[in-house]
Amino acid sequence: MSLQITDIRKAFGGFQALDGVTLTVGEGQLVGLIGPNGAGKSTLFSVVSGFIEADTGEVRFKGADLGRQSPAARARKGLLRTFQVPREFSHLTVRDNLKAAAPGQTGEGLVGLFLRPGEVARQEVEITAKADEVIAFLRLGPVADLPSGRLSGGQKKLLELGRALMVEPSLILLDEPFAGVNPVLIEELVERIRELNARGIGFLIIEHDLQALTRLVPILHVMDRGRILASGTPGEVLEDPKVREAYLGGAA
Amino acid sequence: MFYAQLIVNGLVQGLIVGLAALAVTLVFGVARFANAATGDTMTFGAYAALIGHKATGSLVVAGGAAVGATALLSLTVYALVFRKLAGRSVVALLVTSIGVGFLLRSVLGIVFGHNQQLFTVPLVRPIRFNGLIINPFDLQLAAVAAVALVGVFLVLYATPIGRRMRAVADNRELALVSGIRPERVMIALWLLVGAVTGVAGMMLGMKTIVSPELGWEMLLPAFAAAILGGIGSPVGAVLAGLLLGVAQELSTPFVGFTYKLSISFVVLLLVLLVRPRGLFGRLEGVR
Repeated sequence: MSLQITDIRKAFGGFQALDGVTLTVGEGQLVGLIGPNGAGKSTLFSVVSGFIEADTGEVRFKGADLGRQSPAARARKGLLRTFQVPREFSHLTVRDNLKAAAPGQTGEGLVGLFLRPGEVARQEVEITAKADEVIAFLRLGPVADLPSGRLSGGQKKLLELGRALMVEPSLILLDEPFAGVNPVLIEELVERIRELNARGIGFLIIEHDLQALTRLVPILHVMDRGRILASGTPGEVLEDPKVREAYLGGAA
Repeated sequence: MFYAQLIVNGLVQGLIVGLAALAVTLVFGVARFANAATGDTMTFGAYAALIGHKATGSLVVAGGAAVGATALLSLTVYALVFRKLAGRSVVALLVTSIGVGFLLRSVLGIVFGHNQQLFTVPLVRPIRFNGLIINPFDLQLAAVAAVALVGVFLVLYATPIGRRMRAVADNRELALVSGIRPERVMIALWLLVGAVTGVAGMMLGMKTIVSPELGWEMLLPAFAAAILGGIGSPVGAVLAGLLLGVAQELSTPFVGFTYKLSISFVVLLLVLLVRPRGLFGRLEGVR
């Protein structure tokens, strides 16, 4: 098991956002997570990525309890996330955005920078090569030297994925990767996610665009009011009367 | 020709303001507060340079002492004070930095007394160039400032730690998720800021008279330049500092020597009223 979430509960004041969520993502699996607004999907992502602490419950990654580890520590272990509203270092170029996210740089401290300049220079070459590889993979070449704040919404989503790729991820949590992205770029994103998955990277994807999502994931979980309502193949899940009532009724 | 002479004089003053503004803007961009101790840290740098110079008579040693001692002081203040207050409100940090400034000024007053002290630099014949009088010593100072600026910008824009500093300044939360260690960035930031502040203090001390109040009076022009340049923009801070230095000198025939500092007030007011994000500003820097 890559990710094991067991009985997570989280309340904000009187509102029970997560009410005992249990969910697993196997090594290299593509898993979708859907549900009406306010079902607790993004809250679950925040708990798993270490942004907020759960009241009770356990998150294990590659078998080890993540406890209270910081988002940065989880990222270095290969558990990455993206955001519903894409975030970027808007004044840095696309390439620098990627290079800033590369882990284990000797030159990230002044001591290393001045005492081991040779090593820093060598790493810079490697990191630049890696960034260029990611840029080529995501077809971001034409905008590689633009400040990332000037990218379109869809390109920013690609950049988010790119930043995750700089860290040798084993599981990426994608929060609405297709929201606000034009249809051509959605195809692009779907293709890239498939290719990455073929290389063994797992994905847990929150998405409202069911058409795009169901083509991508073999396993779907439905959340409602802080619980997992149903799990299975997209076909099974979407036929489930409980889901139809909660999800499709709730969305209308 | 008279005004051209004023501009030349203003440029060195402007470099000092620019370096101080660079220190202010770097702290604001990365650590997210207005550091009111910047001026008094400059004074510390001036005294460090003075001691170095008196002991050896060498300007190079003076510069080294200013840079080294002030960088260490800056890091110490971070470790003892600002690190503990990380995540507190901007106002809490600002007030704390005012307190740090007071403390520094008082300690310098106790240790060195309030007598005005001078750098004894050898007199050299000024260079005459098309009727302009240029002091070779000013040229040396300008060269020192240029070296300091090139150094800072190289670290900021050509090294991994600089890239990460800019990343943290840009989006702190995202930097954390991306696995960037904030502590390392902060240590580098405060060392760098201390070095810049030390150079600015040494230059100011050499141009004027060293006293415990020396740097405090530079705080307003430094803040004005940082805001004029667009807070958080290093290039903007330096250019705005130069502009302000020249503007101050140019104003002396009209408002007199005593009131030239008030130009900073006027500039500050105008910028805040007309173009609050400054010349090179980015509003989202101020979150």
